[in-house]
Amino acid sequence: MKSISYILMAAVAALLIVLPYVGDLASQNLAIKVMIAAIFALGFNLLWGQAGLPSFGHAAYYGIGTFATIYAMEAIDKGGFLPTPLLPLVGAAAGFVFGLIAGWFATIRTGVYFAMITVALAELVSAIAVKWEGVFGGESGLRSIRSDWGPFAFQTTTSVYYLTLVWAVLVMLFLYWLQGSPFGLIVRGIRERELRVKFLGYDARKVKTLVFALSAAVSGLAGGLLAISDESANMVLFQGAGSAFVVLNTVIGGANVFFGPVIGAALTTCFGYFGANLSHFWMFYLGVAFVATVLFAPEGIGGAIVERARQVRAGERALLNLSDIANLSALIVAIVGLIILVEVTGTICSESYRAAVASGQGVWPAVKLMGLSFNPLSPLTWIAGIGGLLLGTWVLLKQGLAKWPSFLRRTELAQPVGTGEAK
Amino acid sequence: MLDIANLHAAYGHIKVLNGVTFQVPNGSIATILGRNGSGRSSTCKAVMGLLPPSRGTVKLGGRELAGMPAHEIAHAGIGYVPEDRQIFRNLTVDENMTIGVKAGVSPRPAWTRDELYDVFPRLRERRNIKAGFLSGGEQQMLTLFRSLLGNPDVMLIDEPTEGLAPKVIDALAETILEMKRRGLAILLLEQKLSMVMRLTDKVFVMGRGEIVFSGSVAEFQANDVVRSTWLEVS
Repeated sequence: MKSISYILMAAVAALLIVLPYVGDLASQNLAIKVMIAAIFALGFNLLWGQAGLPSFGHAAYYGIGTFATIYAMEAIDKGGFLPTPLLPLVGAAAGFVFGLIAGWFATIRTGVYFAMITVALAELVSAIAVKWEGVFGGESGLRSIRSDWGPFAFQTTTSVYYLTLVWAVLVMLFLYWLQGSPFGLIVRGIRERELRVKFLGYDARKVKTLVFALSAAVSGLAGGLLAISDESANMVLFQGAGSAFVVLNTVIGGANVFFGPVIGAALTTCFGYFGANLSHFWMFYLGVAFVATVLFAPEGIGGAIVERARQVRAGERALLNLSDIANLSALIVAIVGLIILVEVTGTICSESYRAAVASGQGVWPAVKLMGLSFNPLSPLTWIAGIGGLLLGTWVLLKQGLAKWPSFLRRTELAQPVGTGEAK
Repeated sequence: MLDIANLHAAYGHIKVLNGVTFQVPNGSIATILGRNGSGRSSTCKAVMGLLPPSRGTVKLGGRELAGMPAHEIAHAGIGYVPEDRQIFRNLTVDENMTIGVKAGVSPRPAWTRDELYDVFPRLRERRNIKAGFLSGGEQQMLTLFRSLLGNPDVMLIDEPTEGLAPKVIDALAETILEMKRRGLAILLLEQKLSMVMRLTDKVFVMGRGEIVFSGSVAEFQANDVVRSTWLEVS
C-alpha cells in the first residue's frame, strides 16, 4: 500500500511537471488556481486540523497576502530589489504579521468564541478594505505587472505555472516537516488537551498564537501567488465567500489527512471551473456536497481513502468489491435525481422561463437536461427526481457506505478545550 | 526541596485547602494519604498552578512558585502525573515522549529515552503505536516517563498504582526508587494503604483540606487513631 501511494505521488508529480507540454493554456490556468487553493487550504488546515482551532475568517490573511504582493510587484516594477520568484514571501510575511495580531486576540478565547473572533476580525478587515479606496483600490481593485528577474522571464502562463508549482512543493514540504517536529507535536497535543500541554511546561497561548500566525502566513503566501498569477488584487477577496470556500475545501477533502485539503481544493476548484459552464446552480451542488460530507463522511474524501487503504492492508476487504459497484450506482442515481430536481425547479423559477411561458400562451416548455427533455407538468419528471434521490440515498445508507450522522461524534467545535480536568 | 506552607485554595466559594503545610526534601519520597475529597488532588493542582492558591507559599529550592501559571511552574522543575493518565491519544508513544523533553530545567543529568524504555521494554516495543491503544498500565508508565524527560526536580504522582497489574507496579516502583536515588523530591498521593508504603520515607494524612498527621511509616502504622479517623471507611 505504501508503495502504491508513492507510485501515485510520483505519477501526480510527473503529470504536474509535464502539464505545460501536454495541456493547453486553460489547463495550466486551472492547475495554477488548484495549487493556490490547495496551499490556502493547507495553511488553513494547519490551524483547523492540527491545532483544532476553527477560523472562519481566513480570507483576511489570504487577501492581505495578495494586496501586499501587489504592492511589492509595483515596487519591483519601479526599480525595487526583490526577485520576482520570492514575491510570495511578501504575502507570507504580511499574513504572518497580521496573523500574529489576530491570533493573539482570538486565542484569548477557545471553541465557538475563538471562531467568532476570527469572523469578526475578517469582517473588520473587509469593511476597511471597502472604505479605504486609497489603499485597496475600491471596486476596480489594484493592478500591477510581473517583472522579469535575471534570466527568468515571467510573462507567460507557463512560467507562472512552474513558479506556483515550486512554491506549492516547498509549502507542502515545510508543513509536512512541521507536523512531525516537536512544535507540531505540541500543536497536536493542544488539540487534544490544552491543559496537559501546559503542565508539561509549554505556554499554550503562545503556541496557539504562533500556529495561527504560521497558518495565516501560508494563507498569505497563497494570496501572493494569486497576485502574481492575476496581476491584480480586489477587495472582494476579503468577503466571506473566501473564508467559506477554504473551510469547504478542507472538510470535503478531510482535515485529518495531510493531503485532504489538497484533494478538496482540487475537486472544488475543478468543479467550479467546469460546473459553472454547465449549470447556474453549481454552487448549490457544492453546498449539498459539503453538507453531505459533514453529515455522512465527516472524515472527508481523504479520510475515506486512508480508511479504505487501512482495511485493504489489514486484509479486511478487497480494494474494490461488488458492494462498491452497488454504492457507486446508488450514488449516481441519487445525484441524477438531485440534478433533475434542482435543474427543473431552478429553470421554471427563472425570469426567462416565465417570459417563455407568457409568450407561449401558457404552454410550459420542456426543460432540456443531459440530452433529455423534462416536462415540468408531468408527474414522471418529479417521480424521477425525487425517486432517484430517495432511492439512491436509501441504498447508500442501507449499504453502510454513508452512516447516519452521530452528532455526539463530532462535537469538537462546541467543546471548550481543556475542561474536565479542573474538577 | 519542595516546601509548602499554609496553602489555601477554593473552587468558587467551596474551600478545599485550609492551610496545608509540609516539606519534601530532595532524594526522598513522601506520600499523602486521605479519603476521597480530603484535598489530596487539590493540593497537587494548587502546587501545579492548575488551581490558583488563594494564600500560602509553594517554594521549590527557595523559589516562590505560588501564583505562577502552570507552564512556568512546570518549567521551574515540577513534574506532574495526574490520576487520569494524561497521554496524548493521537500521538505515538515516541511522539508523547518527545513532547515531554525540556532542556535546561535542571542541572541534573537528563533522563534518556532509552534508559526509560529499558525499565519498561513493553513501551519500546510499542513506540510507534498511537498511545490511545495502550493499556492503562502502559499509559501510566508513559505519562510518568514523559514527565521524567522534562527532567524535573520534584515529581507529583496522583494515584500511581490505581488499577495496575503487578508487573507494571514493579516497574513503577523501580522507577520511583531510581528517581529517589537521583535526588528528586517525590510526592505520591494515595487513597489506600498500598504498596507505596514500602517505598515512602514519610507519610502525611489529609482530612478536610489539612494535614492531620505527619510522621514516619512506623509512626503511622503505630497510630490506630489516625487510621480509623481519617482513612478507614466506617
